[in-house]
Amino acid sequence: MTAIDIASPSLYLDGIPHERFTEIRETEGLTWHPYGDSGFWAVTRHADVREVSRTPEIFSSAIGHTNLWDLEADALEARRSLIDSDAPDHTRLRRVVSRVFTPRATRSWEDTARQIAAELVDAFVARGGGDWVELVAAPLPIRVILAILGVPAVDADYLVELTNHLVEGTGDRPTLPDDAYGNTTPTRLLPFNSPASHALYEYAGRMRKLRLAEPADDLMTGLVTAEADGEGLTTAEYRNFFQLLVFAGNETTRTAMVHGGMAFAEFGDQWAAVVDDPSMVATAVDEVIRWATPVLHMRRTASRDTVLAGTPIAAGDKVVMWYAAANRDPAVFEDPFRFDVARADNPHFAFGGGGPHFCLGAFLARMEIQVLLEEMAHRGIHLEQRSEPVRVASNFVHGVEFVEMGVGVPA
Amino acid sequence: MVDVDRCIGIGQCELLEPTVFRLDDETAISRVADGATMDRARAAEVVDGCPSMAISILED
Repeated sequence: MTAIDIASPSLYLDGIPHERFTEIRETEGLTWHPYGDSGFWAVTRHADVREVSRTPEIFSSAIGHTNLWDLEADALEARRSLIDSDAPDHTRLRRVVSRVFTPRATRSWEDTARQIAAELVDAFVARGGGDWVELVAAPLPIRVILAILGVPAVDADYLVELTNHLVEGTGDRPTLPDDAYGNTTPTRLLPFNSPASHALYEYAGRMRKLRLAEPADDLMTGLVTAEADGEGLTTAEYRNFFQLLVFAGNETTRTAMVHGGMAFAEFGDQWAAVVDDPSMVATAVDEVIRWATPVLHMRRTASRDTVLAGTPIAAGDKVVMWYAAANRDPAVFEDPFRFDVARADNPHFAFGGGGPHFCLGAFLARMEIQVLLEEMAHRGIHLEQRSEPVRVASNFVHGVEFVEMGVGVPA
Repeated sequence: MVDVDRCIGIGQCELLEPTVFRLDDETAISRVADGATMDRARAAEVVDGCPSMAISILED
């Protein structure tokens, strides 16, 4: 059969290539896709993504890389984080932060998130709309994660700028010179091959000094303490952890809010249903997340020969879970291409397919989207899309840089 | 019962059955309340709902 190209970043400038994914999902077994010097197996069915996610002993996160391209051993070590590790390292790293992100701990930040959301929505309404990304979807999650970390809110814009550059690092067009932000490290040793990671490392170093001098009741102090006592985190693990929390704690939830806003503008009846009955927010949140699927894929690497979906897989093969495809699998989701805020049975894989790498911030993301929808619903406003979205050229994140929204207010 | 080596403190169990499961405030490791029981079907749901596959059913 002819190979179906799903790895080309520029393909995603027009949105997720759902037709291609449907074709792959309907092909028996797994399909092989050329990439670089070799290729990868595309896993697109819900049941298969679940199996890969929940069998970490075979489908490793620590071998090669969790992105499509392989890293050399020294780069992998320099960049290793929670994402690209297996037990027992993964368990040790996760436990440094897990208590902060439990459903119960997350709820303690709900008032903070609601206050930020209310402020942003009121400002958006007052100016009659604008760029939904810059004015609402980006600032809300970054401010919440910075509050949890204990990082000064005044640095939110700078940190969003840096994480935007990280996203560009997953595309095929480098945007920063290698020496941006005073970087002197070879970029292959930096997360997302981006000099912006150097800037995040520097920032992490400054926060470390601050919190060592003056500990506080926040997550940064927890990370710094875990590094300083020499038992928890190495210096590289500390700064990669900071980089990961700032990136994943804002970029992904922002993307969900952008696609959620666009979906509610497009399907006005669905938003009207939420405004009429705000208890619908409970199911609407997960439908927004399924619809958005902010992280399009994660890669695993077979640690030994195995079989998946009847297809033999050799040790060392790349196995790529396309959450974007699994979240439209008609075997699990009735009428999967319909945006349905009442969808009650919604076992989407936007937080991964289960297993130890289940999204650390899943409950935080849900809570932030919940308060945003509630704050919008009880004001009775609705969104009107005024421009095409400017999408990110990335096969990894479902990013949108800009989308102009108008806002309708109740008469 | 909860396998303490596998539990990574996600908290799905406590969310589903707060009277049975409680995450430790410091370690976030889940623990089953003394003497707590659940009917088999619900227990199977909680087992399935644990992303880190740390929960197993102990028969009476």
